[in-house]
Amino acid sequence: MNKGFSLFKVFSIPLLGAVFLSATLFAAEEPAPGVKGMNDEEFTPTKEVLEVKYVQMDKPYHMDVESLKGAFNDAKPVNITLQKQDKAFPNGGGSVTSAEVKAVHDGITVYFQITWKDPTRNARTIAVQEFRDAVALMFPLGAVEITSAEHFSPRMGDREKPTNLWHWKADWEADLLVKGELEDVEAQYPNMHDDFNFNPYSAYYHRELITSVEVLSGGRAANNLLSQPGRGRTVEDLNAEGFGTLTTQDHQDVNGCSHYEDGVWTVIMYRSLITQDPHDVQLVPGGNAFFNMAIWNGGEQDRNGQKNISTQWHPATLEKVAWQ
Amino acid sequence: MTLVHNWHLGRRMEYPYFESRPKRQFAAIFNINRCIACQTCTMACKSAWTYNKGQEHMWWNNVETKPYGGYPQSWDVKTLKLIDNGENTWYTDEKDEKLSPYGVYEGDTIFEAASKKNLNQWAVGYIPEDKEWRSPNIGEDVAKSNKSDEYSSLPEHSRWFFYIQRLCNHCTYPGCLAACPRKAIYKRKEDGIVLIDQKRCRGYRKCVEQCPYKKPMYRGLTRVSEKCIACYPRVEGKDPLTKGRPMETRCMSACVGQIRLQGFLDDNPKNPVTWLIKHDKLALPLYPQFGTEPNIYYIPPRWAPRSYLRQMFGPGVDEAIDKFMVPSRERLAVMSLFRMAQAIIFEYKIEEGPKVFETTIHGKKFEMYNDTVIGFGEDGQEIVRTTIEEPIHIRDPKHYNSI
Ligand code: SF4
Ligand code: SF4
Ligand code: SF4
Repeated sequence: MNKGFSLFKVFSIPLLGAVFLSATLFAAEEPAPGVKGMNDEEFTPTKEVLEVKYVQMDKPYHMDVESLKGAFNDAKPVNITLQKQDKAFPNGGGSVTSAEVKAVHDGITVYFQITWKDPTRNARTIAVQEFRDAVALMFPLGAVEITSAEHFSPRMGDREKPTNLWHWKADWEADLLVKGELEDVEAQYPNMHDDFNFNPYSAYYHRELITSVEVLSGGRAANNLLSQPGRGRTVEDLNAEGFGTLTTQDHQDVNGCSHYEDGVWTVIMYRSLITQDPHDVQLVPGGNAFFNMAIWNGGEQDRNGQKNISTQWHPATLEKVAWQ
Repeated sequence: MTLVHNWHLGRRMEYPYFESRPKRQFAAIFNINRCIACQTCTMACKSAWTYNKGQEHMWWNNVETKPYGGYPQSWDVKTLKLIDNGENTWYTDEKDEKLSPYGVYEGDTIFEAASKKNLNQWAVGYIPEDKEWRSPNIGEDVAKSNKSDEYSSLPEHSRWFFYIQRLCNHCTYPGCLAACPRKAIYKRKEDGIVLIDQKRCRGYRKCVEQCPYKKPMYRGLTRVSEKCIACYPRVEGKDPLTKGRPMETRCMSACVGQIRLQGFLDDNPKNPVTWLIKHDKLALPLYPQFGTEPNIYYIPPRWAPRSYLRQMFGPGVDEAIDKFMVPSRERLAVMSLFRMAQAIIFEYKIEEGPKVFETTIHGKKFEMYNDTVIGFGEDGQEIVRTTIEEPIHIRDPKHYNSI
């Protein structure tokens, strides 16, 4: 992924034509095994534009939904229709049919608020049969204009057409609330027996065991962000350039907060408008952007491609800041 | 889907990737007839790889009692149901020594069942819940009476059970690898070992769902899945004990019942594993009808009902049991290599010895020769030398405990 992306940057101008042609052929005529082609309509962004309103706000002490709510008062919502993911194996989803998106920025940080109905709150993935509720926003990297003629896959991007994804996870929020910032197995199985306790924050701190924890725990040793305690955030910052290429970024820049009440999730994801990371989308006040989204319903065992998706890009405009 | 050849099924079958066989394939043979279910293998694996937090339910190696045992519970019955189309039969009238040694399977594999049912995923499967992974030794030693089957009634017993030793089969066409939408699972070109990349895995549990043998396991603590790693450092010869030679895994080398022989399936007819599997056809794959071409092979138990065994090991069962009961001279010699060395044997040689015994078994003449069998390592050096008759040492009567 990283390699593909840097190649894209180096050769983007001379190769763009050829890449575009091959990507089109790939998508329209000869999809990879388990991947169905897309039609022209899906390559055309929707008409309705999300206005990312400029608001003057003081950053609340606690970045929670309650404290941030007021900022969205004047933001115009856009309703996004969602459907089952039916192009790449494994297909799935379909239980969440729509979501509402609002967005604001204060000249420094951009905030996206997504609300959707989900009768079950699934915020733990410790038992083998349990899956999390989640939502992701996706932004094309490097593309300023997407039209039906200028194909840019709205489904995870494409080779040489990378995307930046912000993936909020309900269980990461639960992790944040516990000491050590990773819900331990006892959260799911209270009073379970275990011979060793490798939780570095546990009451039975045992130096020798803790220092060997990496050897004993593949995910942590491999630096898999999903396995790490103390991530300090609820949103994962990723890149993808096509199905199956999703990759965690080395540098994590996005955060978020959520609230669940009466069968409705409200999730706010926020990030600096501009970052130093070349793998991040840069959102410029006064400029345009595109985004797409997906929602996972843990209660329906949604994960990976088994998700509720919007099949088209959505345009967004960022309002100028007052001093511009 | 592409079409690949599966020699267990004697035909081509659908699989998401092209046929790409490793240089040599990690493989093992388990002689079910000799297993005492001591679970030493199970503990050898546990104490090496899965004793940490979040792995409490993991038994990469397990030994279960058939027909009632299962870890996770009823894993095989549940998967068999998913591929059952009412016509899961074998055509055995014609066979090809290389391409279809057991005949041709006419039912659906896990991959074909998924495409026939339009599941829009690569294979059929299910995720066993946490409670199904508990009680790994459920059903231990519980016998089944089956008086109707002519093969199962021994004069003394009309009831039967047997043990089955299970670990990841490091399949040629892994269901786990096919299922992973992220390609986080890979099969090594050098030895065919199948591994989950702990960095790429995102805990989707598609492998847990679509491995028909239920050998990838989800670890709640790290939120990603893990599986048997075939003790790859040992197989690579990294353990100092064998001085750089490929070494058998923890579960293999710990086997008290001496039922296990590990090696590589290759083209060398004098490789003991290759000879027993491909040439002698004494050892059979477990549930070949799943279609993954598993690489742990079994010498079926001679006392269990044949219909049950045919469902479990395919149509080669009757021939294999006949061969096991009245072993040929070469077979007896090769079977003497089981658990004789920790370094992996790559080739064997037999030096002929005198005839020491003869009898009739089920009306067939059996002659035993005290041949010497020699096992050679990867480097061609002799690793082990043993005779058919084990040497007998009689202790000097001067010892108190002499008989
Ligand atoms: S036994 Fe299961 S986990 Fe092992 S390689 Fe085969 S499909 Fe994968
Ligand atoms: S080969 Fe190694 S990792 Fe696999 S079951 Fe045996 S001991 Fe465990
Ligand atoms: S160590 Fe050998 S005899 Fe004991 S249970 Fe395992 S396979 Fe059977």
